[in-house]
Amino acid sequence: MNGVVSYMKRDFTKWFRGRVAVISALIMPAAWLIFVGLALPVQFTGNYLDFITPGILVMTMLSAGLSGGALLMFDKILGFLNRFLALPTPRSSILVGKILFITGRGLIQTTIILVIALLIGATLLSPVQYGLTYFILFLFGVLISAFATTIALYLEDHDSYAAFNTMISMPLFFTSSALMPYSVMPSWLATIAHLNPLSYAIDAVRDVTAGGFPAGPVLVLLILTGAVLAICMHVFRKVTV
Amino acid sequence: MNAIETTDLTRYYGALCAVDHLTLSVNNEIFALLGPNGSGKTTTVLMLTTLLTPTEGSASVCGHDVMREGELVRKSLSYVPQDMAVDIKLTGRENVRFFADLYGVPHAADRVDEALAVMELTDRADDLIRTYSGGMRRRLELAQALVHEPSVLFLDEPTIGLDVAARKRIWEHIRALRKKGMTVFVTTHYMDEADQFCDRVGIISRGRIAALGTPAELKARLMKDVITVKVEGSFAPLEVDGIAFVGRNGDEVSFTAENGREALPLLADALGKSGCVVRSMSLREPTLDDVFLQAVGQQEEPQGFEYNKFRIMLRRRK
Repeated sequence: MNGVVSYMKRDFTKWFRGRVAVISALIMPAAWLIFVGLALPVQFTGNYLDFITPGILVMTMLSAGLSGGALLMFDKILGFLNRFLALPTPRSSILVGKILFITGRGLIQTTIILVIALLIGATLLSPVQYGLTYFILFLFGVLISAFATTIALYLEDHDSYAAFNTMISMPLFFTSSALMPYSVMPSWLATIAHLNPLSYAIDAVRDVTAGGFPAGPVLVLLILTGAVLAICMHVFRKVTV
Repeated sequence: MNAIETTDLTRYYGALCAVDHLTLSVNNEIFALLGPNGSGKTTTVLMLTTLLTPTEGSASVCGHDVMREGELVRKSLSYVPQDMAVDIKLTGRENVRFFADLYGVPHAADRVDEALAVMELTDRADDLIRTYSGGMRRRLELAQALVHEPSVLFLDEPTIGLDVAARKRIWEHIRALRKKGMTVFVTTHYMDEADQFCDRVGIISRGRIAALGTPAELKARLMKDVITVKVEGSFAPLEVDGIAFVGRNGDEVSFTAENGREALPLLADALGKSGCVVRSMSLREPTLDDVFLQAVGQQEEPQGFEYNKFRIMLRRRK
């Protein structure tokens, strides 16, 4: 447990001291919110901003998680990982520390996006709804950051990690239910969207904002996150250079 | 119980044998593993620090087996790899504290102050590493490695990329640690440093130990004087009584002789007769360089470029 806190603290300190990165990661989701959320003429809902906000929140978490994988890549390239692996601290705490930092950072960023959404006209929710929203985003963050960090462990260099990041982030976003409901999708897209883990997080947040409790999507997310986490922990325990 | 003990330690990367049945014991000393690039030094250290699984053989650190008791092994050692991995956005104190916390050191704040003081970094402890020189960063890495008082310290090329003064300082610190009873295992390819500062050296070539002993012993194994001749034209090894051929490095050919002054004219004659032009001759006492040359042979890497081996080497560097 000691190790997890130390690894997380290191990343947070470094992040807060690099001010540019704190802001720059927010530009993309904010632009989506404003330029698409406010401007796109759609027929299926009267308040598109309220519809798209859950999608943008999950997208913020997705890009926070995927770009977070690069942290481990840098630790590996710069020689930190070798030093960490030679410590008596359990190797899995490297992974857990990264997951908590990346997810924590993602939650801070989604909070800012949420505030921007409210400022430009999204509907204010109850505290319980926000609590549930954060819980779902946390689960999704753990899923993505565990996956991204473990992928980074196996890729050769930062270029291939950047390629992996670009390759999966946009397709995942566009084939999810972020931008439109299943009912207006072409049927082929609806099929893909139903298989996309991103959709489960988005649908869950959307159900919460509509006042329901999304038992189904949350269960799927829980199982998926649990399985991915177990695999990644195992990989880190066994890792050699 | 020896601090480090290996028996037939072997590691293959695919078909390439990086470390070949290495048997070694190191205790309470500064031991240097010397060798040309790609000779298996780093691979050996990675196996001893449990970062890499041996293909064959066994090794133990402080009596703990590196394969079966990884955590106990890691508790008793510190490892400083050759790339300078310190967080430049953190201060010196924060960097050392980070390692103290990871090791779970009791009274961490005091231990951190102590480690910084030992490495003479106290007055710069609260500055960001960004402002540290290369030598200071290396000392900070040593402070991080010392914070949990390990019994064995592994240093991979500890003085690479540092200026002469910084090198000397690092070695003085390493000597001081050894005096306190720590076993220090270094890899290097600086012969003069190994000669001056290490208790025992092992010369490794293609994964095998080619010579092992104290620097004095190894030098004594060669004969008394070393004659270095700069030649031009073709050179064929020749036989002169009382003179032994050591090795060749570019256009420099080395010999040893029991009595160098008498051997000089004999050697000049013999070389002249064999048809090569002697440009200069010099006489000196043997150094580890000569031992190395004799043990390893030519210093150039003879193979042509093989993409797969190159990739394996790159991967090993990381």
